[in-house]
Amino acid sequence: MSASATTTTAVAAGRGSNFARALRRSGRNFAQFWRQLSRNKLAVISLVIVVGFAGVAIFADLLYEYDFVTSNSLENALLKPGESGTVYYHDKDIEHTFILGSDNYGRDILGRLVHGARVSMIIGFAAVAISLCAGGILGSIAGYKGGLFDTLIMRATDILLSIPTILLAIAIVAALGNSFFNLLIAIASSMIPGYIRIVRASIIQVKDQEFVEAAHCIGAGDFRIVLRHILPNITSPIIVQSTLNVGSAINWAASLSFLGLGILPPKPEWGNMLSEAREFIQYAPHLLFAPGLTILITVLAYNLIGDGLRDALDPKLKR
Amino acid sequence: MENILEISDLRVHYFSNRKTVRAVNGLSMGMEAGKVLGLVGETGAGKTTLALSILNMVRAPQGKIVEGSIRFAGADVLAMGKRELRDMRGKDVAMIFQDPMTALNPVLTVGEQIAETVRKHEELSIEDAWKKAQAMLETVGIPADRAKEYPHQFSGGMKQRVVIALALACNPKLLLADEPTTALDVTIQAQVLDLMRKLIRENGTSVLFITHSLGLVAENCDEVATMYSGEIVEYGTVDQVFGKALHPYTQGLFGSLPDLSAATDRLKPIPGLMPDPTALPKGCFFCPRCPHAMDICAKEHPADVDLGGHRVKCHLYAAAGAAKGAASAAGRRAE
Repeated sequence: MSASATTTTAVAAGRGSNFARALRRSGRNFAQFWRQLSRNKLAVISLVIVVGFAGVAIFADLLYEYDFVTSNSLENALLKPGESGTVYYHDKDIEHTFILGSDNYGRDILGRLVHGARVSMIIGFAAVAISLCAGGILGSIAGYKGGLFDTLIMRATDILLSIPTILLAIAIVAALGNSFFNLLIAIASSMIPGYIRIVRASIIQVKDQEFVEAAHCIGAGDFRIVLRHILPNITSPIIVQSTLNVGSAINWAASLSFLGLGILPPKPEWGNMLSEAREFIQYAPHLLFAPGLTILITVLAYNLIGDGLRDALDPKLKR
Repeated sequence: MENILEISDLRVHYFSNRKTVRAVNGLSMGMEAGKVLGLVGETGAGKTTLALSILNMVRAPQGKIVEGSIRFAGADVLAMGKRELRDMRGKDVAMIFQDPMTALNPVLTVGEQIAETVRKHEELSIEDAWKKAQAMLETVGIPADRAKEYPHQFSGGMKQRVVIALALACNPKLLLADEPTTALDVTIQAQVLDLMRKLIRENGTSVLFITHSLGLVAENCDEVATMYSGEIVEYGTVDQVFGKALHPYTQGLFGSLPDLSAATDRLKPIPGLMPDPTALPKGCFFCPRCPHAMDICAKEHPADVDLGGHRVKCHLYAAAGAAKGAASAAGRRAE
């Protein structure tokens, strides 16, 4: 009993110090990586924007109540940016300033953008996480195992890639029904083929190197070799691709919602705001500009970060 | 003494679309425990393929062991399951690779890589494995606190010493050293070899020492095997082979070395090239380049001739071998 207790403590202590060591090391690596990235001003600005948007998404409820941005107050419809009005909300009249104006139902545009950011961020990251896991596993199998696995997985990928992404997403949403989760699935599955290709290509590049042979030689199993020896060597292209994909996932979410296949009004989402605003483009162009510019800035920021990461992580481009 | 490694009639082929490369052709050999066997031969003779075969690591699907058996410490390597193989690799049989620059994983610290091997084969906590890794680095002359550094922070010689530490971490019974010093410059070579010699002596490890250099064999090995076109053409103790090389190919290898005691203007290279392994000649593989070639050489593949432990695959010695065999048989009868 006491012996086993001692072993457990020893193992725990070993884990602890190992973890501390890993932390210190990654700290050092991060400092070097940050020096590289911070030379790229655009990437830094984009990072600030993205972090700001993420903060807004997380604290959306503190800025605007969800009920407030989804309930109509028709007497305040189509206000210009900066105008105020009296809103009857929760059995009370409140004086409210519409910083970015109001839409045709008298809802606060900025408030809807803030809550729409939440949807966009969640879809952006969740879709990337899902497609990264699925594509990573399939790509690893295809690249590492080769042979029949490779052929089957890659031909399936080719078939998926031959279908236009938007059609695929429409088909999935149409088949599964209109919901947040199905939108997520549709976007994630359209990004899986890209991941499969990247992971497979990178693995093939690494797997024939001598250190992998050496790992076989010390008696390491396939699982260990892929997870511990190959995957850490191919993180850079995956990180870059994922960052770019967050941007395009947000773009896709907005596009599908715009087409009425994603998040439906009155739930606030950038794409459906844009869609609703189309009718009023002549009287209230700000209704269109607000979500449009938000989407533009967000997607652009993710793409610029992706480019910055590519430069910072690729040793060949280091100056 | 019992043989730790016993290879008989091993044939390894590599298959490409049209051609079959016959890398190892009916190779038989035995290795005594605790001995250092030098394996010499030119590029493409099948030395590395032989080493990989011993670990059953010939790369599929192109490479395939088509025939023969390999027994390590009595166990049939070719019949082992995946798990048994994994347990054997690294623990019982370890390999030192030719190029230390590429044999280490660039994204893991050297300490982690050694600790991983140790933990794979021994029941140790992470902390103990790390300590053992540090101890191993100390034995090869690298300060323990450099265990947390990455391969690119080491020089070539130090990397090779890390690779040696990695190979010896689990006290293997057999070490396959595949040209361990080829990628290093001469002074570092000497250091690395001294170190290897010391560790091998201390642990009683058997070593298959693959090299191009006859000088290294003379210094480091107990026995020598000369390999040509996937077979061992001459085998003997260092004294036997270096005293009197029998096979024309081994003689040629010695002839192409500069001799300090004799004034020579030009070295004598062996004329010609190794035969194309996709189309090996019918008779002796060395026949087209052999200065002593006879009629029989082109027609018939020579068998091993045993001259008192000094074995040679050459028709020149067939008669002498028969006489010697008869004599020893007679000797045995007399006893």
